[in-house]
Amino acid sequence: MRPEDTIKQNVIAFLHNLFHPHDYWRVLGADRYTSLKIRIILLDAILSLLPLFIVVTISYFWFQQILKDDFKNQLKWELENTKQSIEFFLEERLSMLRFTTSAYTYEQLSDQKTLSDIFTKFKREFPGLVDFGVIDADGIQRTYSGPYRLAGSDYSDQTWFNEIVIRSSNLSDVFTGFRKIPHFAIAVKREAPDKGTFWILRATIDMKTLQKYASAVNIRENDDVFIINREGVLQTPSRFHGNVLEQYKENFAFSEDSVSIKEVGQSKGKCDMCGYAPIKNTPWVLVAVIRSSPYAKIPNIFRNELFFITIISVFFSIAVTIVLVQTVVNRIKKADQEREAAIAETEHAGKMASIGRLAAGVAHEINNPLAIINEKAGLMKDLLEGSRDMQQNREKFLSLISGIFDSVNRCRTVTHRLLGFSRRMDVSHDMIDINVALKEVIGFLEKEIIYRNIRLDLDLKKDLPRVVTDKGQVQQVFLNIINNAIDAVEEGGLIQISSYSKDEHFVRVSIKDNGSGIPRDKLKHIFEPFYTTKGKGKGTGLGLSISYGIVQRLGGSIHVESEVTKGTTFFVDIPIRSETV
Amino acid sequence: MENENEEDLKALQLRFVGKIIAGFTHEIKNYLAIIKESSGLIGDMIKMGKLSENDVPEYLEIIQSIEDQIGNAIEHFTHLNRFSHRMDTQISAFNLNECIEELIALLNRFARQKKIVLATDFQQDLPPVKSNPSMLQLLVFSFLENKIAGLEKNGRITVRTGAVDNAVAVKIIPEGTFAEGDADAGTTTGKIRENFIKQLGGNISQGAAKETVITLPVHGV
Amino acid sequence: MPQTKVLLVDDEIEFASALAERLQLRNYDVKVGHTAIEAMGFIHQFMPDVVVLDLKIPGMDGLETLKTIKKLDPTIEVIMLTGHGDVLSVEEGMKSGAFEYIMKPIDIGELTSKIDKAKKKRINA
Repeated sequence: MRPEDTIKQNVIAFLHNLFHPHDYWRVLGADRYTSLKIRIILLDAILSLLPLFIVVTISYFWFQQILKDDFKNQLKWELENTKQSIEFFLEERLSMLRFTTSAYTYEQLSDQKTLSDIFTKFKREFPGLVDFGVIDADGIQRTYSGPYRLAGSDYSDQTWFNEIVIRSSNLSDVFTGFRKIPHFAIAVKREAPDKGTFWILRATIDMKTLQKYASAVNIRENDDVFIINREGVLQTPSRFHGNVLEQYKENFAFSEDSVSIKEVGQSKGKCDMCGYAPIKNTPWVLVAVIRSSPYAKIPNIFRNELFFITIISVFFSIAVTIVLVQTVVNRIKKADQEREAAIAETEHAGKMASIGRLAAGVAHEINNPLAIINEKAGLMKDLLEGSRDMQQNREKFLSLISGIFDSVNRCRTVTHRLLGFSRRMDVSHDMIDINVALKEVIGFLEKEIIYRNIRLDLDLKKDLPRVVTDKGQVQQVFLNIINNAIDAVEEGGLIQISSYSKDEHFVRVSIKDNGSGIPRDKLKHIFEPFYTTKGKGKGTGLGLSISYGIVQRLGGSIHVESEVTKGTTFFVDIPIRSETV
Repeated sequence: MENENEEDLKALQLRFVGKIIAGFTHEIKNYLAIIKESSGLIGDMIKMGKLSENDVPEYLEIIQSIEDQIGNAIEHFTHLNRFSHRMDTQISAFNLNECIEELIALLNRFARQKKIVLATDFQQDLPPVKSNPSMLQLLVFSFLENKIAGLEKNGRITVRTGAVDNAVAVKIIPEGTFAEGDADAGTTTGKIRENFIKQLGGNISQGAAKETVITLPVHGV
Repeated sequence: MPQTKVLLVDDEIEFASALAERLQLRNYDVKVGHTAIEAMGFIHQFMPDVVVLDLKIPGMDGLETLKTIKKLDPTIEVIMLTGHGDVLSVEEGMKSGAFEYIMKPIDIGELTSKIDKAKKKRINA
C-alpha cells in the first residue's frame, strides 16, 4: 500500500473513533452521555483554541523577527557610524600630511629640527601619532622624528613604497615592522616636477587609536568588534577571534559599497550575526561578530505575558464550554430518559392491554378445532352405539380420525404463537447457583478440554449468593466465552475460571486464558456482530455479540481485558436481584 | 425510588402474565397430544384389524378419553378467559375461592416444573368480595413465585382461604426445605406489597415457618 | 311425529358435517349452510323449524343474520353457537330474539334438548 493510503486510512480511522467511540466506550463501560460531552468539549476546544494558538504563535515569531530586524538595523547603523568616523579620522590625518607636504619643501623637511618641531606640534593636536619620516625617491628615510632610531632605513623593497610610487598616498596595514608594536602608516607622495622626482612624507599612527574606534561600537559580553584587512589579518586585537596580525578564521564575504549584516546560523538557536563594514580607501574591514541575542530577551517577557493571557483564555473558554455542554447534554439526557420511560410505559400498557384481546383470539382459534374434534369423536361414539359392526364403520372411522389429526395440527399454530408471546413477556426467573450453572457448562465442554490437553483451574467461591436470572441464557453466555477461550489457547494451555461476589449487587465470573491475547485495536470490536478473527467457516462472529446482548438484558455487564502474548480475561457481572430490562 | 418501584411492578406483571400464558399453552398442548395419541391408537387398532364386537368397549373407552381431554382443555381455557377478564375489568365483586382456584390452575404447570405441588384448602360460604381480584392474583403470585424459587424439590404449597370479621384471608403455607438464603428474597420488593395494601386495604403478614397471610377487607375498594 | 327440520349454519366445514351427521343419527332432518347467503337460501327452500347459527360466519355478520331470519319468519327459533369468550355477542343475540345459546365444543345432549324445546315453542306459538 502506498504510504499516502496508509496515512489516509489512519486519519479516517482516528476521526471515526473520535466520532463513533461507542464501541470503545461500551467496552470500558462509560455512559454514552459522558462520552458525548467529552467529544463535544474536545471538538469545541480544538476549534476555538486552534485559531488562537495559530495567531499567538504567528504573532510571537513575527514580533521576534521585528526585534531582530530592529537589532540588525541598529548594528548596521553603528557600524556605519564607526566606519565613517574611522574614515574621517584617516581623512584628517591624510589632509594633515598633504598640507604639510604642500606647506613645506623637501629641503625644509629634510631638516631634522624643522621636522621635529612640526612633529611635536602635530603630536599635540593629533594624539596617536607615533612618528614622522621623510623618505626620498630611493626609499631611504632621510629625516625621522619619533621615538625610534629609524633614520636611514631603507624601504625600497617594501610593498607600500612600491605602491605609493604609483599612487599619491598610501595607507598601510597594521604591522610591527622594525618597531615591534602594532601600528600603521600613512604616507603621502609629493611630486617635484622640476627635479623629476618625488619625496614621501610618512607618519605612523598607533593602532590603539583604531582600536578605540572599534571599541566604540556598542557590544555585549559575547560579542566581538575588530578590524581586519582584506586578507583576513587582524588589525586590532579581538576578544575571541585572535590577536593582532593573526588570521581571522571565519569565512567572510561582504560588499564593497555598504555595510552588510549576515546571519550565520549557529546551533542551539542562537544566531550569529556578522557585520562587515569595509572602510573606504583603506585595506580594512570593520567586523562585528554578535553572539548575544538581546532581541531574544524582550520576547521572553512578551512571551510570559502572552502565555499567561493564553492560559487564562484557554481556561475560561473551556470552563464556559464545559458548563454549556453539561447543561445541554444533561437536558438531552433527561429528554431521552423521559422519552424512553414514556415508550416503555406505552409498551407495557400495550402488552397488558393485549391480554384481553389475546384471550378472545385464542377463544376462536382453539375453540373451533376443539369443537370439530368433539363432534367427530362424538360421531364415532354415536356410530358405535348405533351399530357394533366395526367392519362397516371402518372407512368412516379412519376418515374421522384423519379429521381429528387435522384439527390438532390447526391448534399447533395457535399454541406456537401463544408461546412466542409469553416468552416475550417473561424472561425466565430462576433462583440459581452460578457455580452449578458454570459446572454444568464445563461438563458439557469437558471432552474438548481433555482432548486438547488444556488445564482447567477452577476457583469458585463457596456460598456464592444465589442469583435470580435466566439460567438458560446465562449458561449460553458462559458456553460461548469458554468456547472462545478453548479456541484461543489451543494445545496445552491454561484456562482459569473464578467466581466471587463483586459487591452487594453483583456476582462476577471471570474466565481467563493464556492464549495469544487480543491486540488493543481489535479489542474494541469484539462485541460487534459478525466480527471474528477466526478463519472463514469457523464461527459466525455472532457469539460474543449475542452474549453481550443477553447479559445487558439481564441487567449485568461484560467487559474484557487482554494483553498480546499474555492472554485474555472476560468478566461477566450478573445482578443478584434481576433488574428490569 | 419511584422509578425502580414502577420497574419492578412492571416486571412482575410481565412475568406473571408470561407464566400464565406459557402454562396455559403447555397444558393445552398436553391435552392435544393425548387426543392425538388416542386417535392414532384407534386408527392403529382399525388397521390392525381389531374389528370385532369385543373390541367395541375399548374403542368407546378411547373415545371417552378424547372427550375428556377436550373437556379439560375447555375448562382450562375458561380459567384463562376469566383471568383475562378480571385483568381488564379490575374492580368487581368476585368469589375468592373461584379467583384463587383459577390462579392455582393456571400456575400449576409452573409449580410442577419445580416439582412442587400446589394445593388448595377452601373455606366454603365465603362472602363475595368487592375489590380488585386481578391485583390480588398478582400479589398471591408474587409470594408463590418467591416460595417456589426458594423451596427444594418435592415441596408443597397450600393456599388456604378463610373469613375473619369483615375480611377474607388468603394463607400461603409452604412445606418443605428451603434453600440457603431468604425464602422471601426474590424479586418483589416490600414497596410493591406496600402499594398493594395501599390500594386494596387489608394487610400482609409473615407468619411462622415462612407462611404469608394476606387479609383483604370484604368491601375493600 | 315428523322430523324436526334443523338448519345448521357454521363456516367450519368439518365441524358442521360431523355435527350434522350426529344429528341425523338422532333423527333430525339437517341441512348445512356455510355462509349467510347459503343460510338465507335454505330458509326459503328448506323452511327449517330451528336454526343453529354460529355467530362468527363470514359475509353477513351472525347477529345480522339472526335479525334477518327473525324478520323473515319470527316463528323460526334460533339457537346461537358461540365460543367461550363471546359473552357480549350472546347478550346481543338474546336481545335480538335468539331462543338459546350453546357453547362450542358442544355437548350433543344439551344441543338436542335445546332443539326440542325450540321446536315445542314453535309449535305452540
